[in-house]
Amino acid sequence: MIELKNDRLDFSFPNVHPEAACRIDFQRTLRIPDDNRDYPLPPGLGSFPLQHVDDFKDAVPADWIRHGGVFLPMYQAEALWINFGGSYPCAVKIAAGKINAVTGKTWRNPLARKRQDYVVVPEQPWLDGFAVSRGMIRQFVAMPLGAGYTAEEQLTGTAEHGGVQIVVYPMKAAVYEKLRAAEARRGAGDALMCCDAQPCPSMGLAPGGLMRQEIYDDDYGVEAWDQTAGSRCFVHLLNSLGYLSVTGHRPPQPPPTAADYTRAGLPWFEYFDAERKALEGAAKLAGLDSVAAKSIKKGAGIIADNGPIGTPKVKSLGPAGAVREGEF
Amino acid sequence: MYYIQHMTFGAYIRDQREARRSADKAFSLRQVAQRIGVEPAYLSKVEREEVAPPSEATIRKLAAELDEDVDVLLAMAGKVSSDLQAIIRTRPRLFAEVLRQLRECPDDAILRVVREVRDGDW
Repeated sequence: MIELKNDRLDFSFPNVHPEAACRIDFQRTLRIPDDNRDYPLPPGLGSFPLQHVDDFKDAVPADWIRHGGVFLPMYQAEALWINFGGSYPCAVKIAAGKINAVTGKTWRNPLARKRQDYVVVPEQPWLDGFAVSRGMIRQFVAMPLGAGYTAEEQLTGTAEHGGVQIVVYPMKAAVYEKLRAAEARRGAGDALMCCDAQPCPSMGLAPGGLMRQEIYDDDYGVEAWDQTAGSRCFVHLLNSLGYLSVTGHRPPQPPPTAADYTRAGLPWFEYFDAERKALEGAAKLAGLDSVAAKSIKKGAGIIADNGPIGTPKVKSLGPAGAVREGEF
Repeated sequence: MYYIQHMTFGAYIRDQREARRSADKAFSLRQVAQRIGVEPAYLSKVEREEVAPPSEATIRKLAAELDEDVDVLLAMAGKVSSDLQAIIRTRPRLFAEVLRQLRECPDDAILRVVREVRDGDW
């Protein structure tokens, strides 16, 4: 089952194991410059507010009702990252516009057996974008559906789905118990923004700037996951300018620009787990135009707030107890 | 559930903090007090139950610091979270009746009334 608690999706699988659970929230963040230089991890500026689609049936697009799930508000060209929590191992597949963020392939519910198309939580603490090469992603950036920027539109030629799609599969109980017993034996502890006069309500995710982030290989193997017990959630992205009229609540303020944040001396982050092997990126995703490149190709000019950021102050985070929190 | 019935707030906080301190010195009484914004002497009195449990705001900071469930800690301190109070105040008769009806229900029956995020056709 999936519950919405404090702007977080709580997945639990009591029928698999009493501890089988996974938490996912969507973090507001800076949009990193989209200039083909690579950047460290930007901060988390707090969770996006999440709402049940069913609570606003009269105000949201009809296909959102059919999809079910939840929605969150994003400004045009705003970025997000997906934060994973929980200690029970789970396989989490993430797509944007039903384009898999790890492989670039179209959505399928089951986990791929040959080429890993999911992340493993808690080993993978977060996902900031589309995997374009080993150790490199392109940041998730919200753009209006239908404008041609999103990964979905670039790969399929249609603007049909938008949003973010998630399926979570817990580890099989028997595999988990074996793993726990083995751990016990080892003694292991534990400007473009907000200027859209008539916003399209539905947004999709487009590839933004390059960021250094590894997506880790599945050490357990695909057979470890209980694919009979998955839970799916469709996360719709609503243009922030429409959020107040749909929900009656104000959306969060737009985040600061990356340059302003860096100029204020606030930290960026690096995270590496030397013990884990990183996956290759997807050629399909590497071939996409970034938002800045697409904007020029479309004749829309250079995107705003995309200048250099100066020298960022970078903090290293280790895999144990890593907390990536910005100033807010 | 076990702790609500069998442990007091101060003793539980002390147990949890000491357990973390054995692995990480940052969980000393002094450092935890500093991070949650109270005097070490006050936190010591809370743990030894020489004073009443702290405010909701401080309990929330303690829950975050010790990675504990805030609702469980508030219940152990004899408090109800302000957001829950606000929810009950909107429809007091209805929620009072719901809670009384569910009082004796087993956990799995209560969980069935928890609202799930609906998955649709996509």
